[in-house]
Amino acid sequence: MKTRSNSQTSLDESKAVQYLLITTAVLFLGIMLVVPLITIFVEAFRKGAEAYFTSFNDEYVLQAIKLTFITAAIAVPLNLVFGVCASWAIAKYSFFGKSFLITLIDLPFAVSPVISGFVYILLFGAQGWFGSWLIENDVQIIFAVPGIVLATIFVTFPFVARELIPLMQEQGNDEEQAALLLGANGFQTFWKVTLPNIKWGLLYGVILCNARAMGEFGAVSVVSGHIQGVTNTMPLQVEILYNEYNFVAAFAVSTLLAILALLTLVLKYILEWKVARELKKLKNEE
Amino acid sequence: MKIEVKNLTKYFGKFVALDNINLEIIEGELLALLGPSGSGKTTLLRMIAGLETVDDTDKGEILFNNIDVSKKDIGDRDIGFVFQHYALFKHMTVFENIAFGLRVKPKKERLSNEQINKKVTKLLELIQLDGFANRFPWQLSGGQRQRVALARALAVQPKVLLLDEPFGALDAKVRADLRRWLKELQEELGITTVLVTHDQEEALEVADRIVVISKGKIEQIGTPEEVFHNPANEFVINFLGNVNLFHGREEDGRLDIDSSLENEDNNSKFLIRPHELEIVSVNNKDAILQAKIRYIQLAGSQVKIELTHLENETRTVLVEISHYEFREKNIQKGDIVGIRPRALRTFENGAGI
Amino acid sequence: MKNIIKKTKLVLLGGLVATTLNLYAKDKVEILNVSYDPTRELYSDYNKEFAKYWEEKTGQKVVIKQSHGGAGKQARAVIDGLKADVVTLALAYDIDVISQKRKLFPSDWQKRLENNSSPYTSTIVFLVRKGNPKGVKDWNDLVKEGIEVITPNPKTSGGARWNYLAAYAYAIKQELGNLTNIDRNSEVFKIADAKALDFVKKVYKNVPVLDSGARGSTNTFVQRKIGDVLLAWENEAFLAINELGVGEFEIVVPTVSILAEPPVTVVDKNAKKHGTYEVSKAYLDYLYSPVGQKLAAKHYYRPYKPELADKEDLERFPKLDLVKINDLFVDWKTAQKTHFDDAGTFDAIYK
Repeated sequence: MKTRSNSQTSLDESKAVQYLLITTAVLFLGIMLVVPLITIFVEAFRKGAEAYFTSFNDEYVLQAIKLTFITAAIAVPLNLVFGVCASWAIAKYSFFGKSFLITLIDLPFAVSPVISGFVYILLFGAQGWFGSWLIENDVQIIFAVPGIVLATIFVTFPFVARELIPLMQEQGNDEEQAALLLGANGFQTFWKVTLPNIKWGLLYGVILCNARAMGEFGAVSVVSGHIQGVTNTMPLQVEILYNEYNFVAAFAVSTLLAILALLTLVLKYILEWKVARELKKLKNEE
Repeated sequence: MKIEVKNLTKYFGKFVALDNINLEIIEGELLALLGPSGSGKTTLLRMIAGLETVDDTDKGEILFNNIDVSKKDIGDRDIGFVFQHYALFKHMTVFENIAFGLRVKPKKERLSNEQINKKVTKLLELIQLDGFANRFPWQLSGGQRQRVALARALAVQPKVLLLDEPFGALDAKVRADLRRWLKELQEELGITTVLVTHDQEEALEVADRIVVISKGKIEQIGTPEEVFHNPANEFVINFLGNVNLFHGREEDGRLDIDSSLENEDNNSKFLIRPHELEIVSVNNKDAILQAKIRYIQLAGSQVKIELTHLENETRTVLVEISHYEFREKNIQKGDIVGIRPRALRTFENGAGI
Repeated sequence: MKNIIKKTKLVLLGGLVATTLNLYAKDKVEILNVSYDPTRELYSDYNKEFAKYWEEKTGQKVVIKQSHGGAGKQARAVIDGLKADVVTLALAYDIDVISQKRKLFPSDWQKRLENNSSPYTSTIVFLVRKGNPKGVKDWNDLVKEGIEVITPNPKTSGGARWNYLAAYAYAIKQELGNLTNIDRNSEVFKIADAKALDFVKKVYKNVPVLDSGARGSTNTFVQRKIGDVLLAWENEAFLAINELGVGEFEIVVPTVSILAEPPVTVVDKNAKKHGTYEVSKAYLDYLYSPVGQKLAAKHYYRPYKPELADKEDLERFPKLDLVKINDLFVDWKTAQKTHFDDAGTFDAIYK
């Protein structure tokens, strides 16, 4: 009798705790994510749809959008190649310095983006290590597009690698060895066997990499120079518009970034599901 | 193709995986590498395949038709390899899996699509999976997957077939069926085959010759009959089949069991297989031991009886007799009986009967 | 023979290309103006006017690219390689540092244009909310309890340094009364100095947030509605009132403030390298022209030559007692070192 009523109350209690936890989580998400997201769109359309679209008619804004896309178009493929190579090496081989490489890959996550930017200034600034050589040869890295691309590459390079390493480790070497034994060369093995196995994980990493590349502020801000119409990416342009009291335009450009974020989330969700399915298939095999 | 392994020693760091292995594989035979985990059998197989190499710190050579292959690329050795966990290409159909080796050949050597088609279809018939060409590996059972793996390995017409515990991941029944099927196939194709296994029943059933390996060393090479009935040493007899251990003395072809000799030298150890013992009446003068019947297992081709020494309940003896004999002697659980060896045999190092 | 013909063709082609490029280059030229935070609107208008003027005068098209940020930050960027053709910053010291560290222009740059190379000046005033609810009238109100003061970070912002020194100027004037002929080595001065620094410290105790630039602080005060009083460039204050809601804010003019001279200069080395030396010089000269001076006044900067500006614009500027930097310190360098460099008085406040 006693135990019965005890279990009854413990069930009620846990239900109460459940509700509390769920409510807290929902409230938190609501305040931190949903409300700001809605605010961006509300503020962007505060002066009507025409004002919203006019914001994009500005030369500086268009240049900023263009620069963001160019930066992503360079940074993401490079990090894709790098990520695949590094993951391959780490997952399939053991070599001296392997754990060091793994730590190195995580470095951009640990370091503040602003610091990353400063490192580039230390290296390529006029007073930096390579400064005098660069000036002599009239090569501009910092305060120009190359600097922005470099800074973006740095802060986004872990994404692909971090996605692929556990996936490739889980998948093991057998298929690649089988391919080699059947007479395939390295490239054929990679292209026909390895790549199809990692494709969802790869896409997932690329999506995240792209989102970060387009949205990066700190590191890019340090190396940008803020030259209107030349070295401002979308996030930087938003700050500038805001500082010019042009709030509608600032929020309008922000909506683009917000849409990108939402798109990323949707794709991420789909790909997560696919990757889980892949791993399930693997488990079925054993 | 003739394969020779000469004085092969392989180190992994300080660990000696293979210790001076000398082996000749006869053309067309099915050779089993049999041993417990960690014995080095898989390492030996992989070295023949080229998946492990003879490094600077290692010794010895591996010769294919008298040519040292240690410098040859994995893909150039003309070898078919089947993995324990199939290693089928998940994202390709059964057809494409089998066709893979043919498709990656350099342009000059590559067959036309029609020819590849024909070959693969024939192989599918061979492995009895005709209708499965467009299925994916995850849609197949374990046994089916392994057959596809075999077909894939055979597609490029290798000179040697290497199998790494191919049936290890399968159910007992599937395992039994598949190994018989493999034996038939191998005889039909006449391809030199090396099979790694830890399952002595499997080795005894399919192999033409068995290499018993332990701790990187070869314990014995011989036909299944030779290794089973004439084991070269204690390890071999222990490994192949169940065995009973007795301590005692041998006098005039008779064995005197004396447990007090337990910790003495090898001359007092005797190993006898369950089917080499018979149950007799407790008073029988040829009985070497009195024991009580604890457990009878009737399910199986032989009757398996577990007994304990009358003097010492902690010591167990296993006896195997035919069902016929069992019924004749009317043996029941709890009976006190005598145990008598059916035959006498000696070893060189003194252990055994 | 064939070879020679081929070579000649190449040379001619090359020459043609080079000439075309050169012509094209002469036809259009680009200069980069690295400026401080609040001048965005001024230069946006001014650049249009100058481009028009220059094309009419020389037929050459000029595109002026702008970069804005906190003055200290911008100066550092130029030192690190930002290829400015001209710099138009908040205070002379920041420009001095560029010259020192990179030798991009001579150290006596300030003498090259009139009024210490300052085509316009400004000062520091207070911006308060409508109705002045906290009743802020002068500097001494800023140290009261419960008052929140908004001012940017002197480490990065030029305006912030003017703010700091204006507060200091007020306090020391309270102590000494008269700032002419002060003997900086006297005991009297030293005591007054200590008291003034203490006053400044008390002001900063009431500062809840330090933005990196003047514009950031304006936004904090106006948009985010933090603080009771904003220490602002005069032009920023006017801009805030006129852009962000007339009637929502009021300007309070303190009794004492500092004369802020935001100077300009050509960055000789960069400009010469880009081939923009002439147009850059003209760009800065034009600031002193009637067009330039009118625009300055329109954008709430006090023009050096008020006679060239519109009277209505001039009337907006309140009258107040303006202290010059050189009255307080030997020069900007000393002021920077004493107060804003590492281990200076500003750092001491935040110990």
